[in-house]
Amino acid sequence: MRGMPRGKGNCMDQRTSIAPGVWLSRLDADKFCRQRIAISFLWPARRETATAEALLSMVMERSYAGCPDMTQLSKKLARLYGAQLDVDIQLRGANRQLTVAVTGIQDRFALDGENLSRAYAQLALGVAFTPVMNGDTLDPEAVAIEKGQLREQIESEINDKRLYCLRQARRRLLGDAPEGIERWGYLEELEDITAEDVTAAFRHMVRTACIEVVCAGADADAVRDAVLHTLQGVQRAPAAPVPFRAVPAAGPGRFAEPLPTVQGKLCLLFTAPHVATGQDLAAMRVAVALLGGTATSRLFQNVREKQSLCYYCAAGYAVTMGMMSIDSGVEHANAAAAEHAILKELEALRTGPITDQELAETKRALINQIAAVGDSMAAREAWWMNEILLGTLLTPDQVSAQIKAVAADDVRQALGQFTLAVTYSITQGGAAE
Amino acid sequence: MKIEANEAIRQATAFESCTLENGLKILVKPMPGFTGVHAVYGTRFGSIDRSFLLDGRRVDAPAGTAHFLEHKMFESEEGDAFTLYAKTGASANAYTSFDKTCYIFSATSRVDENLDILLGFVSKPYFTDATVQKEQGIIGQEIKMYDDSPEWRLMFAALQCLYSAHPVREDIAGSVESIARITPSVLYQCTDAFYRPENMALAVAGNVTMAQVLAAVERAGLPAVRNKGSVQRLQPAEPAAVAEPWREFTMSVAKPMLALAFKEVPPQGARAALKTALVCEMLAGLICGDMTPLYRRLYDEGAIAPDFSGEAMLLDGALNLVFGGETARPEYVRGLLLEEIARLHREGVDEELFTLCKNQTYGGMVADLEHVTDVAAGLISSYFRGWTPADELACLASITKQDMDEALAVMLDEARSATVIIRPAASGKEEQP
Repeated sequence: MRGMPRGKGNCMDQRTSIAPGVWLSRLDADKFCRQRIAISFLWPARRETATAEALLSMVMERSYAGCPDMTQLSKKLARLYGAQLDVDIQLRGANRQLTVAVTGIQDRFALDGENLSRAYAQLALGVAFTPVMNGDTLDPEAVAIEKGQLREQIESEINDKRLYCLRQARRRLLGDAPEGIERWGYLEELEDITAEDVTAAFRHMVRTACIEVVCAGADADAVRDAVLHTLQGVQRAPAAPVPFRAVPAAGPGRFAEPLPTVQGKLCLLFTAPHVATGQDLAAMRVAVALLGGTATSRLFQNVREKQSLCYYCAAGYAVTMGMMSIDSGVEHANAAAAEHAILKELEALRTGPITDQELAETKRALINQIAAVGDSMAAREAWWMNEILLGTLLTPDQVSAQIKAVAADDVRQALGQFTLAVTYSITQGGAAE
Repeated sequence: MKIEANEAIRQATAFESCTLENGLKILVKPMPGFTGVHAVYGTRFGSIDRSFLLDGRRVDAPAGTAHFLEHKMFESEEGDAFTLYAKTGASANAYTSFDKTCYIFSATSRVDENLDILLGFVSKPYFTDATVQKEQGIIGQEIKMYDDSPEWRLMFAALQCLYSAHPVREDIAGSVESIARITPSVLYQCTDAFYRPENMALAVAGNVTMAQVLAAVERAGLPAVRNKGSVQRLQPAEPAAVAEPWREFTMSVAKPMLALAFKEVPPQGARAALKTALVCEMLAGLICGDMTPLYRRLYDEGAIAPDFSGEAMLLDGALNLVFGGETARPEYVRGLLLEEIARLHREGVDEELFTLCKNQTYGGMVADLEHVTDVAAGLISSYFRGWTPADELACLASITKQDMDEALAVMLDEARSATVIIRPAASGKEEQP
C-alpha cells in the first residue's frame, strides 16, 4: 500500500498511516445528513478458519463489552436516533475483509444537542476491538446462538436463485483456490466450531490484519487516538494483503442443476490470463459495459429486446480475480438459444465492428456513474477501499480520464483475453449433469 | 420531540414548488455540494387503479396495465428512450408501485437535455399491436422471475388472503394471462385518464434550480397541455372480513416462511392517513422489532432470522399490517406473535420502547433527506399522498403513547387476520419446539 495522492477530484481529504499496518482516512461529510465511521480489517484468507471468521462477524454485531446484551445494544442504537451498526465479512480476492461500521445522523440533527459523533466512534471502536468475553473466550452462549443463525444464513442461499446460480458457477470455477473460500464458511464444519475457535479468529484478525479506518464526518483525531490506545496492548504483526491475481483457466465445464423454478437461470464465467489494472482496467470497464452493463448494451438490446430470449442479461467483471461473468434469467425452453445468442454477441464485439457512437455512449454512461460517487457516502467508501486493494489509489476523476482514452481496439483486446470456463444453469427438471 | 425548532431539519426538508395552471406540480430541491441530479416524473396511476370512468364511460383495465404502460412509455416512433439517454450518459429507469408510476433519471451532466428527454417521452404515448405483443413476452418473463421470489409470493399470498375485491391483491405486473388482454386501445385510455397534468408531478433534486426545471417544462410545452374530459376512479366494495384465513403452498426454499397479516380499516383524508401510517409503522416495531422481548426470545431460540419483522401498507381503500419472515417453526412463531399482540391489547405499549421507536423513526426520516435519489422520490411520494417531508416529521413529533394505545385498541384483531406459510418443496413437516 502506498500513500495517497492529493489530486483534483480527490474525494479523500487525507489518508495517513497512524501505526504499522493501520491507516486512517478522513472524508468530508458536511453535505450529508449522516456520518459514518468504518473500521476494516484485511488479512489473507484461510480456508481452515473461514467458518469461525464468518461466525465472528455475527457475534461481533450482536454486542460488545461496553454493551454486552443484544437487546440493550438495539436500544442504544435507537437512542442514537436509529444509528445503524453493521459488521460485514466478505472475500476480496484471496483476502478476508471484516468491516465494522456505524452510520447515524449528523450532530446538527440531534434534538437535545447530543455529541453523536463521539458516541458513534465509541460504539464502532468498542465493537471492533472489545467483544464480550467470558474469561479468555468469547461468550459461548452468544456463539451458540449465532451458530444457529449462520446455519440459516448458509442454507437460505437457495432462496435467491439468481445469486445462487452465480455462486454455484463460481464454486465450480474456483474449487479450492483461496478466492473461492466461502464468505459464510461451511455448513459441514459449523457444528464443531467452538467459542475458542471464534476467539482465535478474532485474535488472529486483530494481530495480523491491516486496518483501514475511514471517518466520514466523525472526529478523526479522537478516533485516531482511540485506535492507537486500543492497539497499545496488542502484539501486532500485520500481513500484507494478497494482491489480486487471475484465477487459473479451467474447463470448459458445463453444469445443470434441476430445481422447481418458474424461470431458468444461466451463468457463464470466463477467465483471463491477467487481472486488468491501470489503463487496461479502464478498457475492461468499457468493454464489459458495452457487452452487458447498460440498457443500450449489446446483450440487453439484442438478446433481451430484439430476440426476447431473457428478462435480464448482464455482464460483470470481478477485478479481484480477472473473471468476467454473464448471467441471465431465461425461459427454461430458451436457455440453449440464449446461451448461443450471448456467445454470438461476445464474439461480435471481439471481432466485429464497434461504432464510434456506441463506444462514446458507453464511456459517457460510465463517466456519469463515476462522477456520482462523491454524492454517496457508501459509494465513496467502497470506491476508496477498492482503490486501496488495487494499490492504485486513483480518484474518480483520474479513472474517468482513463475511460475517455479507451479506443475500440482496446475493447476488442480486453474481451479477446477471455476463455469460457464454466456454464451453469438452473433447469426445470431432469437429472443434474 | 423538538423537531420543529431544529434548524438543520428545517433546511433539509425545505424545497421549492409551483403548480402550473393545468395542475401539474413541480417540486425542486437544490442540494448544494452535490454533483448529481435525480429527476422523477410520475403519475398517480398504479396497479390498484384498474377501474375508472373516462368521460362517463367505464374502463376495466386488466391486472398489470400500469406496469405494462410503464414499459411501453419508453418507446416512441423514433425509438426507445434508453437510446436518447445514451447520448447524454444519464442512467434512466422507471418503476410501478400499487399507487404510482414513476420515470426517473440520474445524471451528473447535461441536465437540461435529460429533462427534455424525460418530459418528452412520457408526454408522447405510442403503442401498436406489434410493440404491445413484443412487450407481453418480456413482461411475461419478468413475472416468471418474481414467481421464483419467495418474499414476493409470500406478500401477494397474504394480500390475496386479506382482500377479496380490492385490486391490491393482484401482482403489480399482473399475470401472463391478464397482460395478454392488454391492447393499444386500453393503454391509450389509461394515458388519457392518468397521464394528464393534474394527475402528475415532476420532482427534481440535486445540482439543479427551479428556473432550470421550469425552463425544461416550458420547452416540453407542458403548460399548454390541457386535461381533457373527466376521470373518476372506481373502487370495488371490500368487505371487512378477510377473504381466506389460511393458505399454504410449497416452493424451492430452504426453510418455511410465515406471514401473519391483519386487515384494518383505512383512514379518510391525508392528515389521518399520515398519522395512521406512522402509528402502524411504529406499532410493527413495538410488537416484533429488534428491541422487543418477543424478537429476542425468538432470535435466541433460533426460531427467526434477523430480518423477521412487521410492516404496514396504506393505500386508497386498503390498510394492513403484515408480520413475517423465514422461520423453521411457523405455527409456533405465529402463536407467540398473537400472544404478544394480545398482551399489548391488555397492557398497552411500553413507554420506553415507544420513545426509542420514535427516535429510530426520526433517524430514518433524516436519512431519507440525504441522497438526491431519496429526496426526489420522497418529494413526489409525499406530494401524491397529500403531505410534505416536513409534515411527516411534525406528525411524528406529535404522536403520543396514548395515540398508539388507542390505535392498538381497534387494530390487530385475530378475527381479521390471515396466515400464509410457504413450505420447502421437498418436505413440509414442521419441527416441534
